[in-house]
Amino acid sequence: MKKNEQRGDRIFGAVLLVPSILIVGGFIFLPVIQSLYYSFFDYKLTRKKVPLTWNSFGNYRSLWESGKLQHAFSVTFQFMVIVVVLVFLLGLVMALLLNRGGKGERAKRTLALLPWGTPTVIVALLWSWMFQPEYGVVNFFLLKLHLVAEPISFLVNPNTALGSVAVAAVWKQLPFLFIMLLAGLQGVPSEMYEAAHIDGAPPLRVFWHITLPFLRNVIRSSILVTIITNFKQFPLFWTMTGGGPMGRTETLAVLAYKNAFVNLNFGAGAAVAASWMAALIIFSLIYNRVFREAEY
Amino acid sequence: MKINHPVKNTASWLLILLIGGFLLFPLYWIFVTSFKDNMDIYRFPPRFIPLRATLGNYLLLFRDSSVILYLTNNLFVSAGTTLLTLAAASLAGYSLSRYPSRFGRAVATSLLSTQMFPIVGLILALYVIFRNLGLIDSRLSLVLSLSAVTIPFCTILIKGFFDDIPRSLEEAARIDGASRMKTLLSVIMPLSKPGLLAIGLYTFMQAWDDFLFAITFILNDGKRTLSAGIAMKFLGEVSYDWGMVTTVSVAGVLPMFLLIFLFQKYMVAGLTAGAVKG
Repeated sequence: MKKNEQRGDRIFGAVLLVPSILIVGGFIFLPVIQSLYYSFFDYKLTRKKVPLTWNSFGNYRSLWESGKLQHAFSVTFQFMVIVVVLVFLLGLVMALLLNRGGKGERAKRTLALLPWGTPTVIVALLWSWMFQPEYGVVNFFLLKLHLVAEPISFLVNPNTALGSVAVAAVWKQLPFLFIMLLAGLQGVPSEMYEAAHIDGAPPLRVFWHITLPFLRNVIRSSILVTIITNFKQFPLFWTMTGGGPMGRTETLAVLAYKNAFVNLNFGAGAAVAASWMAALIIFSLIYNRVFREAEY
Repeated sequence: MKINHPVKNTASWLLILLIGGFLLFPLYWIFVTSFKDNMDIYRFPPRFIPLRATLGNYLLLFRDSSVILYLTNNLFVSAGTTLLTLAAASLAGYSLSRYPSRFGRAVATSLLSTQMFPIVGLILALYVIFRNLGLIDSRLSLVLSLSAVTIPFCTILIKGFFDDIPRSLEEAARIDGASRMKTLLSVIMPLSKPGLLAIGLYTFMQAWDDFLFAITFILNDGKRTLSAGIAMKFLGEVSYDWGMVTTVSVAGVLPMFLLIFLFQKYMVAGLTAGAVKG
């Protein structure tokens, strides 16, 4: 009787997992394996079925030799670092300044969440409009404040394009960091602050020794999410710059997509994807290791 | 940390205003632009409060049936994705919470690992899969691929919510002779409404945001969803019709804002669950 019950539990528990396994397995894991597989072959999208031919790492070699893969890694990395640093610092400042509790809590959160809820393509359009060279409002402010002498073509100028896309990304992601850090701050027991106050500890010390350690979990998970989000960013680039000007915003996402769906070279696109996945996996292993060690 | 010093106080208000302006002004700006006529839109210096507000862009937008079609398709795909994800993720999350096993732990780890995979990198393989299934140009391809993306996170999230429900409820139901499935559906699910709402909202917003799948799997304009439709229809090669672009943006943003106004509490709970606890 007891044994039967246990077997029933096991079967029931396994059956509940089946729908998720099928969907995620079929539409994520299968494509991962297939991408890896394609990356070793000559595979162009054609109407006729052409057998795949092994090209002895040709996809990887030509990506590497053309320098495009390294370039895309570097652009992606620069973009990610800019966005993560800005989003984290601004989010922390906002959370510290607005952590006062009481009335207005709901309104603060609701207003802050609006950019986060704006669909990414609309974020891209909105900032393209703000950054527009002739009529754009950003140029108006900069001219008015005498910060620039003539309007800047933000998305066309190779020096400003990546930064401009980063601004759009910061705008959309800042609310997430703010909400997370605010929740973290509200989890710091107020007795800790009172004790520090009685001891006469200066604010910066209190922040460093009480606030930050309490925020560690929130910081770890929200920064990891932000890093991954920006490493994968596609719609902003595709809509705002398309990888231009002169490849200045050609990230891994843009390079993979262009190879696969513009050049119709699936093998090369898959090779970009495979290198990219490998980098993400290695990165997250290191990331978690570093944070784990910091705890002891 | 209380800030009492007057200089510090002014400085902190200034910072709040600056960051707040950065976050909110762009929204005000597309909203205002959408009510301007072309004369006013292409004016430099720009007018911050339109002299003559016009509904012209909105009338044009809704006379053109394609935008309504995009919105309907987006709603259809997002709702479908939400239902499928809710069903699959809540069952899996319940299994991980109440029937732990070595197999379950392996599944949970694999689900978490999917967060690493860049979807743009998988999309060509996905394209081949959908082509073999005959689902290219079908909205079902969007529902399936979006669900595959949202299920992992939602499963882990809802497991946390189930973990907080006392097990004694199930034991009591079992003593009363309820089957396992009946216990789940009529005892546990009703108690998990906040968690289900949190993952439902998350999924709906993710699906509403989709651009990549829609531009890749959908070729027929009549089946396009919002983001892909806007990009294909309103973004010309040379110049953009900014009046229309801002108007359609407002139309695409409003449903999300409505959800935020109504359900802010549940979204925040979903976002911060787990992360804060550690």
